[in-house]
Amino acid sequence: MPSHTLQLRDLTKTFEAEQGAVTAVDSVSFDIVDDEFFTMLGPSGCGKTTTLRMIAGLESVTSGTIAFDGQDFTKFSTFQRNIGMVFQSYALFPHMTVFENTAYGLRIRQMGDDEIKVRVSRILELLGLSALAHRNPPELSGGQQQRVSIARALVYDPGMLLLDEPLANLDAKLRVQMREEIRRIQKELGIMSIYVTHDQEEAMSVSDRVAVFNHGKLIQVGAPHEVYASPNSLFVADFIGRANFFPARTALRNGQGARVALGRGSELEMPLSRPLPADEGALLDAGFDAMIVVRPEHLGLAPAGTPGIPCSVRRILFLGNYTRYMVACADARREVFVDMARRVPGIAEGDQASLIVHHQDAILFSGAGR
Amino acid sequence: MTAPASPAEALRRKVDWLPYAVGALTVFVLFAFLLFPIAKTILSSFVKNGQELEIANATLTNFAKFFTSASYQRAFVHSLVVGGVSTLVATLLALPAAFALSRVAMPFRNLLMSLSVIPLVSPPFIGAYSWVTLLGKSGIVTHYLNTWFGIEMPSIYGGFGVIVALSLSFFPYVLLIVQGALAAADPFIEECAFVMGASRWRVLRTITFPLVLPSIAAGAIIVFIKALGNFGVPSILGGEYYVLPTLIYFQVHGYFNLNGASAIALVNVLLTLLAILVLVRVNKRRAYVTVTGGTRRSAQLTGLGARIFANTYCWGLLALGLLPHMIVIYSSFAEQWAGTVFPTAYGLANYVNVLANVRAPFTNSIILACAATAMCIVFGTLAAYTSVRKRFFGKWALDLTIMLPFILPGIVTGVAYLTTFNSGLIVLSGSGAILVLAYFVRRLAYVFRTVSAAVGQVDTKLEEASSICGATWWWTMRKITFPLVSPGIISGAILVFATLISEMSVTILLYSAKWKTISVAIYEYIISDDLMNASAIGSITILATLLLVFLSSRIIGKTMAEMFR
Repeated sequence: MPSHTLQLRDLTKTFEAEQGAVTAVDSVSFDIVDDEFFTMLGPSGCGKTTTLRMIAGLESVTSGTIAFDGQDFTKFSTFQRNIGMVFQSYALFPHMTVFENTAYGLRIRQMGDDEIKVRVSRILELLGLSALAHRNPPELSGGQQQRVSIARALVYDPGMLLLDEPLANLDAKLRVQMREEIRRIQKELGIMSIYVTHDQEEAMSVSDRVAVFNHGKLIQVGAPHEVYASPNSLFVADFIGRANFFPARTALRNGQGARVALGRGSELEMPLSRPLPADEGALLDAGFDAMIVVRPEHLGLAPAGTPGIPCSVRRILFLGNYTRYMVACADARREVFVDMARRVPGIAEGDQASLIVHHQDAILFSGAGR
Repeated sequence: MTAPASPAEALRRKVDWLPYAVGALTVFVLFAFLLFPIAKTILSSFVKNGQELEIANATLTNFAKFFTSASYQRAFVHSLVVGGVSTLVATLLALPAAFALSRVAMPFRNLLMSLSVIPLVSPPFIGAYSWVTLLGKSGIVTHYLNTWFGIEMPSIYGGFGVIVALSLSFFPYVLLIVQGALAAADPFIEECAFVMGASRWRVLRTITFPLVLPSIAAGAIIVFIKALGNFGVPSILGGEYYVLPTLIYFQVHGYFNLNGASAIALVNVLLTLLAILVLVRVNKRRAYVTVTGGTRRSAQLTGLGARIFANTYCWGLLALGLLPHMIVIYSSFAEQWAGTVFPTAYGLANYVNVLANVRAPFTNSIILACAATAMCIVFGTLAAYTSVRKRFFGKWALDLTIMLPFILPGIVTGVAYLTTFNSGLIVLSGSGAILVLAYFVRRLAYVFRTVSAAVGQVDTKLEEASSICGATWWWTMRKITFPLVSPGIISGAILVFATLISEMSVTILLYSAKWKTISVAIYEYIISDDLMNASAIGSITILATLLLVFLSSRIIGKTMAEMFR
């Protein structure tokens, strides 16, 4: 398999808007190698799609560089970059059959008819579309159209595959099925892929690495489990999975960790703290210098009177393989979610209870200067 | 998969200069044949006839005539009266029909709407003379009114005839636009008012009418612009009743006073602009966001009374609107018609004569229209594509420039072309080229509009997907964009061609003995009182035009009515 590298360095995009220049993508840098499945994830307007479109050459670059295998990509027009792209709207050519849509890139490359036939048949077979080759796009279902669009993007062996929210128009069940299939084909062909989505579950399930974007900035890059287990910021913690937030004051700090106090005076022993990113300092509540982040599955619930943080149970949701308790707690920033493998006996909706933090799994973010 | 030799190498690496080249050519053509003539016309209106275009010669003499010359003042007032009254009559005639066609259960609704397009596609001057046949001194209607009831009709020549002919030619604009708005209006809004206890009349007055007012205004303005700029009808029915377009013609043909004509043209255009300004203001104060995502149509009235009224009114109005065309076709079969109420002999002699002796105007019109249509296709398509797809500085200027001829009366374009191409850098007067260029400029907006709509329907992602696949700009245009917008191009082109074969108001100033067109032939026959031969040519033209518009509507899959909305 040929070795490929895509390098982005300080990639920046500013748009001229009526209110002045808007920075859509702000100094984004990352590397992708070989057949990695790389996902750019973030809320809408975070710059992920703009970054993808700059890689494709569909959007001009304000500053920074994009290099593919050491070549400056920005010197080439879109049509010279030899890339494949799958659009959210599929963008199938409505006046061409499935076969002709797929063959499109090969005809541009002036390949002979025989070879086109061989290649198109092979890719259509890979995507399970052989029987539909002579249909027209409007006659296909959404899922089938998306497969054709993937076939069209892969048939000419592009250097990389770009996917712009490819599953957004499909229904929930088909989404899960298609994302598995995309990953299977991607690994089978060994093609570098860059995937854009705002659906964190989708990103976590298919990607080798995830890049979380917010406000045009790249916040964190890492394998899905790393990003989930050790987010580098409150934003990532909140965006990836569900998190509970407890404002805290550092009472004592030593080599092993810190002792922190919550609003009502409950004290917790925490492992080593990590600093908050500079721009999140403002997110700390007045009077507090730190924030404890705990995933719902790392919280426990015990009957009132047990040592822990006092709270009241508002709602109990039985969700099959686990039970979710929605709990009001004065020490927490908002309603707390507690996910338990089993129901806790003796606790009903409306009861007072004690919240137990499994602190080895909790994360303590400290404000600047601590 | 095995990699090919090198797919990346197969993509030709070259600068994509083509889009810039075609863009530059389009801009050049628009400048040379549209903006430059208009600018020169404006400038020459400030110079006395026969003097050079220089700052030193600047004068307001040409405009001062509007204060000193009685004939100028009369023409100005007449234009306002003709424009205003025709607009009012056309709007009042059209509104009940628009309501009936959208809110009353009627059979043959689409047929009715499609037939109502006929007065719009066949130039009003072809039918104008029919009003003399009907209402003239020895006209059919005049005769019976007189013998049966003793009623004396006012003379058809003058303001009365012009207003009758223009209102009945242009009312379909209001009808089609308002009918469209009424049919598309969200039924929930009206139902909401009913639920709150409003009566049917109250809903009509306080909800329905205010909501379609912008559409009524838009339709009325189009009628006003068309009536104000029309040359053919007042030239045939006006007699001594001069309006601005006929005054322009008089200045050019009587005195060859192009500078004076330019000044009148400018005043004519200013009136039009004023009207548009009013429209913009009306629509600004009433900027409703009409959410029409609903699949439901408004409730239809099914009461017997409503249906009888609706059918009688609509078919009656349509019959009135088509009366001139029917008379034209009727007259074309008349072989002897002198001094009697009805013809005394019928036959095909007129057609035989016309087809044998009037070949040249037919060939000329077809050649000129074909050439102009070809130009419209090329530049209209390019401009529309650029305008819809590209963001660039001065885009509004491009849109405005192309739509400009919509508000310029044909005779004004004629004056501009005479002023510009009669002498100086490019001399074209008397040639076929000057007609082709003027036609092109006059109709560019047709192709521009249909192609803009078609390009707007094509997802930009399709073009992006194509270039991702490795296609150059030209390849994408050829294989993706062009095939997808071609129905828009074809239908726009047919519309251009159909309306050009009988173009009158610009032709009348620019034609020469060698390049006489169908419209000029008809005009000459009418002027020399040979109504029957004029009607034969007119009938052929009307039917050909209608057939072409029908074809065009089939190609883009719209009804004929929708094409004029």
